[in-house]
Amino acid sequence: MTLPLTRNRRVVRKPRAAIAITAVFFVLLYLPIAVVILFSFNGQKSLTVMKGFSFRWYTEFFHDSDLISSLGMSLRVSAVAMVGAVIVGVALAVGLVRARSKLGSFAGLVMLIPLVTPEIVTGVASQLLFKGLGVSLSQGTVMIAEITFSISYVTVIMRSRVAALNPELEEAAMDLGATRFQALRLVTLPALLPAILASSVLIFAMVFDDFVLAYFTTGVSPEPLSVAIYSAIRTGVRPTINAVGTLVLVGSIGLIVLAMVIPRFFGRKGGLDILSGD
Amino acid sequence: MADLMTAPPTEPQTGAVPPPPARKKTQAKRANRLWSLLALPGTVWMTLFFVSALLLLIALSFGTSDALGNPHFGTSLANLKALTDPAYVRVAMRSLLYALLTAVLCLLIAYPVAYAIALHGGKYKNALIAAIVVPFFANYLVRMYGWSVVLSDDGPILRLGRALGLSPNVHIQNTGFGVILGLVYGFIVFMVLPLYAAMERMDVSLIEAGRDLYGGPLRTFLTVTVPATRQGALAGLVLVFLPATGDFVSAQLMGGPNQIMIGSLIQDKVLDALNAPLGAALTMILLVVLLIGMLGYLRRTRRDELDVLR
Repeated sequence: MTLPLTRNRRVVRKPRAAIAITAVFFVLLYLPIAVVILFSFNGQKSLTVMKGFSFRWYTEFFHDSDLISSLGMSLRVSAVAMVGAVIVGVALAVGLVRARSKLGSFAGLVMLIPLVTPEIVTGVASQLLFKGLGVSLSQGTVMIAEITFSISYVTVIMRSRVAALNPELEEAAMDLGATRFQALRLVTLPALLPAILASSVLIFAMVFDDFVLAYFTTGVSPEPLSVAIYSAIRTGVRPTINAVGTLVLVGSIGLIVLAMVIPRFFGRKGGLDILSGD
Repeated sequence: MADLMTAPPTEPQTGAVPPPPARKKTQAKRANRLWSLLALPGTVWMTLFFVSALLLLIALSFGTSDALGNPHFGTSLANLKALTDPAYVRVAMRSLLYALLTAVLCLLIAYPVAYAIALHGGKYKNALIAAIVVPFFANYLVRMYGWSVVLSDDGPILRLGRALGLSPNVHIQNTGFGVILGLVYGFIVFMVLPLYAAMERMDVSLIEAGRDLYGGPLRTFLTVTVPATRQGALAGLVLVFLPATGDFVSAQLMGGPNQIMIGSLIQDKVLDALNAPLGAALTMILLVVLLIGMLGYLRRTRRDELDVLR
């Protein structure tokens, strides 16, 4: 008995160096976020020295009509991209998995390309396409570009979900007299619901936070909020940016946590796989 | 499910008896039509707005732009030739170097982090990984701005360093190191996740065996853990390298005029100077370099899989 015990103890011994590095890693990971939140309440104008406490930068943000219209545009773009991409993406995922044709698996591979292509390439290509078609850049072009990226994301997540479903459930429903479409609507769709809801929330947050794609496909006025923040950082940072940043960070972190928790409402464990795409 | 129970069947029930083969065939055909119909809108959309956009990008990199900055198609090699200008080559080389150093630095940081969480995280494993993933899905720009404040001359890191006796001449911002640190902060999650997944899959008894054979902790790590998680490390290197090469936000926030990357040039040509064909050519070069990296990775993993089978 003693031998395995000592052996166990030796293996289980904590790797102190690795744990110390992990602790520093977490501190550095959250320090920038903490700094933005802290300075959003700064009583004075400095971006690096904290003195006093105030809500003045939030007040300033809510009175800045440009930033508010940017916020409105970002919310509209996110909502449209979410609805469009989820409807088209879920249909595509079901179609590709069930068709089981060579073309289907090829299309599935093609759907991965937007995810690994650097955003700047997609951004430049989309802008050239819109200009080539004679479409002037506006809120609509941002929506189209964001839908395009989001479709591939939804499809990749949903494909594994659809593939994991037992097709015999649908067959059983059809044996009981349901048409194929009814089986799809009444059996498959409810089974996919947790994943659909979670990816909707995730897509909303990702589109809202996206910068590069929006940057290359937006018109001048209004700009999406991320682009407005970038312009502000480039031309000289005002403390208002900290207030905007805090609201944006808190909002999107809330949404992402929600996306991870949604599957649990349906009695499923964990939601991390939604994020990592496994 | 309750819906299914109450939904009235609209077709006569045929389920009790298996349908004759001919009928099954038409049914399968009809089903296939439904699946194609479902896949149609997405396929058309992606062809229209993604595939054709990439093709246009490639076509336009052989084009010209007139005095007004309007792009025209052509078969000119002028853009590609212009890219051999030493100034561009230097920026391209710098981008690749920064991205490579970023990937390596991410690997060195993420290995102990993934190791500590996967093997010693206990019941907090999932929570810890979630705590790493969640901020990475939050606004990239705001996070990078916060990081630039942290690394600035008046930021907490350098202040702490100076209090501990660091020379006041040490700066992080406006240096290549600063840009690399920005990229590391931006993309390290793509290294942590595959490494963590690989370590979760790893057989812990291998480490025990290494220890039983009197390997020290470091030696066991290098000769057992690292080879066992090679796939994850390789995936992480590619996943960090790809976005880092095309990034321009880190160079903008952390670097100065001597640290611009290929993304900054593309941004400049496409948006500001209105020289779309040159921007397209730059973007295409970036895409080609990345595709080579991607294919190299895929070939490598294919070979590894074959090794395992042997």
